[in-house]
Amino acid sequence: MNIIEIRNLKKDYPLGNTTVNALRGVDLDIPKGELMSIIGPSGSGKTTLLNVIGCIDGASEGSVKVAGEEITALNDKQITDIRLNKIGFIFQTFNLIPVLNALENVEFPLLLMKKFTKAEVRKKAEKLVDDVGIREYGHHKPAELSGGQRQRVAIARALVTNPHIVLADEPTANLDSVTGASILNLMKEMNEREQTTFIFSTHDANVLKYAHSVVKIRDGLIVKE
Amino acid sequence: MGLILKIAWRNILRHKSKSLIIGAILFLGALIMTFGNGVVGGMDKGLQKNIVEGFTGDAILVANKQESDNVFMEFMGRSVEPILNYPTLDSILHTLPYVDRHMPVGKNALMHLSEESSNPGFSFVLGTDFERYTKVFPNCVKAVEGRLLNPGEKGILMTTSQREELYNWSNIWCVAVGETLDVSKLPEDIKKDSASLIIKDSLVFMGMNENNATYDVRLPIVGIIKYRALDKIFGHFPIMDIESYRTCMGYLSAEDKIEVTGERKALLEMEGDNLDALFGNSALMVANTAPVKGKAVAAKEPATVAPTQQDIDAGTYNMVLIFFKDDIQSDEGLRRLNEDLKTAEVRAISWKKAFGIIGSIAMLIKSALFVFVMFIFFVAIIIIVNTLSMAALERTNEIGMMRAVGARKGFISNMFFCETGLLSAVFGGLGIVCGTIAVHVVSALHFTSDNDMVQLFYGGDTFSPVLSSVDIVLAVFQLALVTLIAVVYPLRVARSITPLDAIARE
Repeated sequence: MNIIEIRNLKKDYPLGNTTVNALRGVDLDIPKGELMSIIGPSGSGKTTLLNVIGCIDGASEGSVKVAGEEITALNDKQITDIRLNKIGFIFQTFNLIPVLNALENVEFPLLLMKKFTKAEVRKKAEKLVDDVGIREYGHHKPAELSGGQRQRVAIARALVTNPHIVLADEPTANLDSVTGASILNLMKEMNEREQTTFIFSTHDANVLKYAHSVVKIRDGLIVKE
Repeated sequence: MGLILKIAWRNILRHKSKSLIIGAILFLGALIMTFGNGVVGGMDKGLQKNIVEGFTGDAILVANKQESDNVFMEFMGRSVEPILNYPTLDSILHTLPYVDRHMPVGKNALMHLSEESSNPGFSFVLGTDFERYTKVFPNCVKAVEGRLLNPGEKGILMTTSQREELYNWSNIWCVAVGETLDVSKLPEDIKKDSASLIIKDSLVFMGMNENNATYDVRLPIVGIIKYRALDKIFGHFPIMDIESYRTCMGYLSAEDKIEVTGERKALLEMEGDNLDALFGNSALMVANTAPVKGKAVAAKEPATVAPTQQDIDAGTYNMVLIFFKDDIQSDEGLRRLNEDLKTAEVRAISWKKAFGIIGSIAMLIKSALFVFVMFIFFVAIIIIVNTLSMAALERTNEIGMMRAVGARKGFISNMFFCETGLLSAVFGGLGIVCGTIAVHVVSALHFTSDNDMVQLFYGGDTFSPVLSSVDIVLAVFQLALVTLIAVVYPLRVARSITPLDAIARE
């Protein structure tokens, strides 16, 4: 079963008087539980592809189905709800809420969902913080954490809602190799344990060994799966 | 809401300098607004108390013919039209349940003439039945030299300020009858001229109206007076007995009525056949044909019979000062009065209108203060808008990330609104509390002043700012409005931040 189905996806950006064709007709199916890496040189369109899949950016043309739902025709509220309920994000620069501590950052999407009691939220967040190995740092603010610890918090936050897909845009780019390897191991472990689909983009060839499959993208087109 | 509050509060603490800038502006704005409202409230109340209770009453009846409502302070030129039917009015007023008491008075500008000076002076003069006046306005004046008028006594009560005006005009210095000049009590700037001062214990007054049908009357200066409050304003109005006032103005007086009841009545009632006999007599009678506004009098001779209250009331007045009962609002009383006196050839005007610019001074200062506070808030709004917009842009990553993980635009709006609302509530609230305390402290200090303008600002001799609960509610409302306006644009900026903006920033 495919968790993501993309057909003839095009994405154009206006740039001054010209138009940049970031994606020029992408077709891609991603099965549930996949750990997929998207690779390609800078400007090839891998971040754009992740953004469109993650409902962060819209498509100019084509069809994108996430967990069976066509996302190209949804309004802002519906798109936001899909991001909240079906997708988890891990950003290159961690992007945590600076005024909340690690545990509260993990709780944040759960509180937005308004589906759980405070106690349930706290219990789920604590479990995830425990799972990613930063239990003792739960009450530390992001500024008091190392890069690796912050990325672990970001992973816990991405996973806490039990999303269908977790998207990670170069998650190890700002980490040293040891920390990067531990983060990738963590993602792999989560993928295997929770059967969550992970899609991450990277430049780093060392990262590829963690992926079940690799998609190579160049000039806005998939050149190799 | 708990999450939003938590984030908002922590963001305020995190961005301390920005929060302090915005907070300080809100604090100052709220403080100035609250204290200003207290000052204006006190001034309004003080003016109302001192003017209404000490001089004008709640409403003033004037003749329908009277064009201008500014009957007290309109300067030279038009005289106040006479009211010729006071007895009728009096009987109606006694039947009106909302009228507590009333006082008829004459008021016009009179010239004072002097043998020693070719420059006539001018005064607004109140013509009153002084005995009745002091019952309606108890303790409103005090004699600083001489004494007050006795019942039925003719004379003038000169105010200290008009005495100085007269000195400036014609070097005349008034003293009360029977008193001598005490140079040591003279104001410093007049002391040096004491040798050349023309000392007078009586003055010649002459009425002024469009028909020149007025008379000059010499009156003893019975006393030099000061008004209990707002003497700098009321001091423009020396008080004269009503009979002398009427004589000056050429109005029908009580004495005229008495005269007409005597020998002259027989003459006036003489049949046509007997008119020849009249001309055959050696007596010469000159008719007063001048079209005076009051009922004309032919000649002035001292009355031999003292006028009764009824006689006095039968004469001419210029206005009737009305006091409403305590539970009657001025506007309501005014409306009812105008309705009930529709056919009585008079109209009722508010004391504010009757006192011209002085009556509107509270409203003027209130408006000026409002504009000033609005200006402060306008500047505050610009600074807050700018600071918050910058803060929103600086927080693009944070806001974009929140949106990326599922926060709706409404969440971002609430978060921003909450931050500004908290700042407004804490600092603005503190401003209102401090303003309220300042009002009470200043009021308790009882600052006093003799200065003309300062007294107007104080609404009396003492600075007594006062804050009503309505003023506080108004301050809270204004603060909320400022917060709302200030947050609109930054909110739009924050709401327009997308997850893509956060990523693009990276």
